[in-house]
Amino acid sequence: MSFSPLRRVALKAAVACAFAASLAGGLPAFADEAILRVSAIPDEAPTELQRKFAPLGKYLEAQTGMKVVFTPVTDYAAVVESLATKKIDLAWLGGFTFVQAKIRTNGTAIPIAQREEDARFTSKFITADPNIKTVADLKGKTFAFGAPSSTSGSLMPRFFLQQAGLNPEKDFKNVAYSGAHDATVAFVAAGKAEAGVLNASVWDKLVEAKKVDTDKVRVFSTTPPYFDYNWTVRGDLDPVIIKKLTDAFLKLDPANPEHKEILALQRAARFIPTKKENYDGIEKAAHAAGLLK
Amino acid sequence: MSRIDRDPAARSRLIGALATLVILWPLFQAAEVKPGVLFDPGNLKVIGNFLAGFLPPETGAEFMGYLAKATLETLAIATAGMALAFLIAVPMGYLATGAGREKATLNPITRSLLTILRGIPELVWALVFVRVFGLGPAAGVLALGLTYGGMLAKVYAEILESVDAAPARALRHNGAGRPLAILYGLIPQASKELASYTVYRWECAIRASVVMGFVGAGGLGQLMDQAMKMLNGGEAATILLAFMVLVFAADGFSGWLRRALDTPPANRASPFGWRSGGLGLVLVVSIVASFSYLEIGLKSLLTVEAAHSIGEFVAGFFPPDLSAEWLAKVGKGIWETLAISVVGTLLAAVAGLLLALPKWRAPFSFLLNTLRSVPELVWATITALAVGLGPFAGALALALHTTGVLGRLYAEALDNAPPAPGQALHLVGAPGGFAFLYGTLPGAAPQLIAYTLYRWEMNIRMAAILGFVGAGGLGQLLYFELSLFHHAQASTVIIAMLLLSIAVDQASARLRRWMA
Repeated sequence: MSFSPLRRVALKAAVACAFAASLAGGLPAFADEAILRVSAIPDEAPTELQRKFAPLGKYLEAQTGMKVVFTPVTDYAAVVESLATKKIDLAWLGGFTFVQAKIRTNGTAIPIAQREEDARFTSKFITADPNIKTVADLKGKTFAFGAPSSTSGSLMPRFFLQQAGLNPEKDFKNVAYSGAHDATVAFVAAGKAEAGVLNASVWDKLVEAKKVDTDKVRVFSTTPPYFDYNWTVRGDLDPVIIKKLTDAFLKLDPANPEHKEILALQRAARFIPTKKENYDGIEKAAHAAGLLK
Repeated sequence: MSRIDRDPAARSRLIGALATLVILWPLFQAAEVKPGVLFDPGNLKVIGNFLAGFLPPETGAEFMGYLAKATLETLAIATAGMALAFLIAVPMGYLATGAGREKATLNPITRSLLTILRGIPELVWALVFVRVFGLGPAAGVLALGLTYGGMLAKVYAEILESVDAAPARALRHNGAGRPLAILYGLIPQASKELASYTVYRWECAIRASVVMGFVGAGGLGQLMDQAMKMLNGGEAATILLAFMVLVFAADGFSGWLRRALDTPPANRASPFGWRSGGLGLVLVVSIVASFSYLEIGLKSLLTVEAAHSIGEFVAGFFPPDLSAEWLAKVGKGIWETLAISVVGTLLAAVAGLLLALPKWRAPFSFLLNTLRSVPELVWATITALAVGLGPFAGALALALHTTGVLGRLYAEALDNAPPAPGQALHLVGAPGGFAFLYGTLPGAAPQLIAYTLYRWEMNIRMAAILGFVGAGGLGQLLYFELSLFHHAQASTVIIAMLLLSIAVDQASARLRRWMA
């Protein structure tokens, strides 16, 4: 009877797997108290989010005395789920993802601060088609939202379209989800979607950075204002740390050059306090638009 | 032409062709096939601009750092995932196989469990696990482990059933238990095939782990997803190159390993040569290194709290939403997914055959290898630019990747087809084309058809998930509903995917039997 060398190898692999599994199990199970785990919804390229976060992370380390670790992700819902399962402590959430997080955590997630701009946030409808002048002209066109659970790229535009008597699934030829705001602009500029909608702040940033040809792609409608983004902590985080974090955000002062850099990267004039009730309107809109059941 | 010269099978062939058209037409409609848009000057410019952005590939130090880390992560996910798959496959394969049993009773429970494990694409498992176990590669490893565990177990079971049962039967009649009968009676005959298939799967796992990155399970795929979303051509080009190098290397390594299996063992007293010892060591080290590199805290998954949150998560999927309204939507998704898979596979069969024909292989082999080393999800990003979002982009993406796979298999099958009929026709003066059509092709046809149908079975699973990048079908529905935590609805979609892939497996098996 012949014994192939590979067969023995295969048997050894089984043993090795068992060893590896037991070794890997020895790693720390839950967040060490001295580490603050932070993430953000990927409304822009994750590399961009990491770049934006770096100075803020250093500032928060200095203010709380904890080691700050930022985990970039590609999926909105993963951030919500991670907050709910306590794999992260602090998250930059959109209005709708905050509502989802509030529901997932049985109301314990606490919004601590938001940018002044977030209290009056808007979305911009864009197109490269000269025949589209109002949202009513969108009938029969292909249309790009951002991520499905984006507030400014999906929920609120959907809500306002509904108020204008348009049902995207029925009235548009094809509905696409680009996944992120800058991707929506790329879709519309490339003609992959005849129109799209995105967050006003990202639009302004792309225009300033000349990343979009405004002769070709133009804004044809802007939504009424609503509450959007905030920094949220999980509810069972040590209240002392919550207080430190909140103060750290509110203390950021545009007159201080170091703080100015942080605020500029966050595209914030300054941070202001926020509360759960600010997002009740978003929750109602989500129910009305059928995104919350 | 006299009556005798007419093709005697003309009528049945005509009817067959017409029937095929009648069946395929609605599918082409559902896949929104519009070849015209491909050549639309506006679209050509868009795709030209995007592809022009591929040059020069990004080579910045910071980016290369990310790339190196992601490449290692991909290798580690594939290796750790395979280790887990092996652990699942051995007991499951043992339970499922009819080999070594007195009566050929198949274990229906294990078999259906295996079908479920295999039927749900690894990307869907990954998407769900990303939610349960949080961000990062743990989700990818578990997803790979489950799907590939299911696949390995099924194939192990079948390999053991296919070898000569006499030695095992003799052992059992002499009082050996079933495990011993399999170990000493069947495995020695099957070991080469078992090992060869396992190595081949590891190579597939590398491809799959890249794809899983698209849903946030780490590695090269996650990097690729970001670059593609932002239409950053330079970064995409570098990642794609790194990926191709990785796939070619894995391909070469697994080919070498499989060839090594063909050499008979050395004639010596000790069963351990330097090669098997070395390989064993490398294997153990790489598996341990993979697990520790990925920092998968398995213990954190085994706490009461984690179990509770997983339970809560899973409970959310039951009962599935079976309201008429939602079922209608899912039904439309099923139809679209089916159309994507059929159209994509057919287009690939035609293109693959054309590319398999030329005698001078080198440039065509290179083209085919390039086509198949780019994953479908990446092709979909590019085809969506070329023809707009929707099912046609998905079908094209599937077609491009599958052309690479089928072209290579077709070329091999044509090489192996009996040469005599073609040569005979050639000698009696038939032109080259006729000699091929009536001499060589019929000999290779059963093989070609079998390959195509097998590929269709894989493509239905891929078509079900292409929607994650906007190519329509069930994937888009699933992505949307999972994003919104509508688990009851997502559950219906996952069940639909499972049923669809089972139905396609059955249909393909039946077609293969009918054509054989």
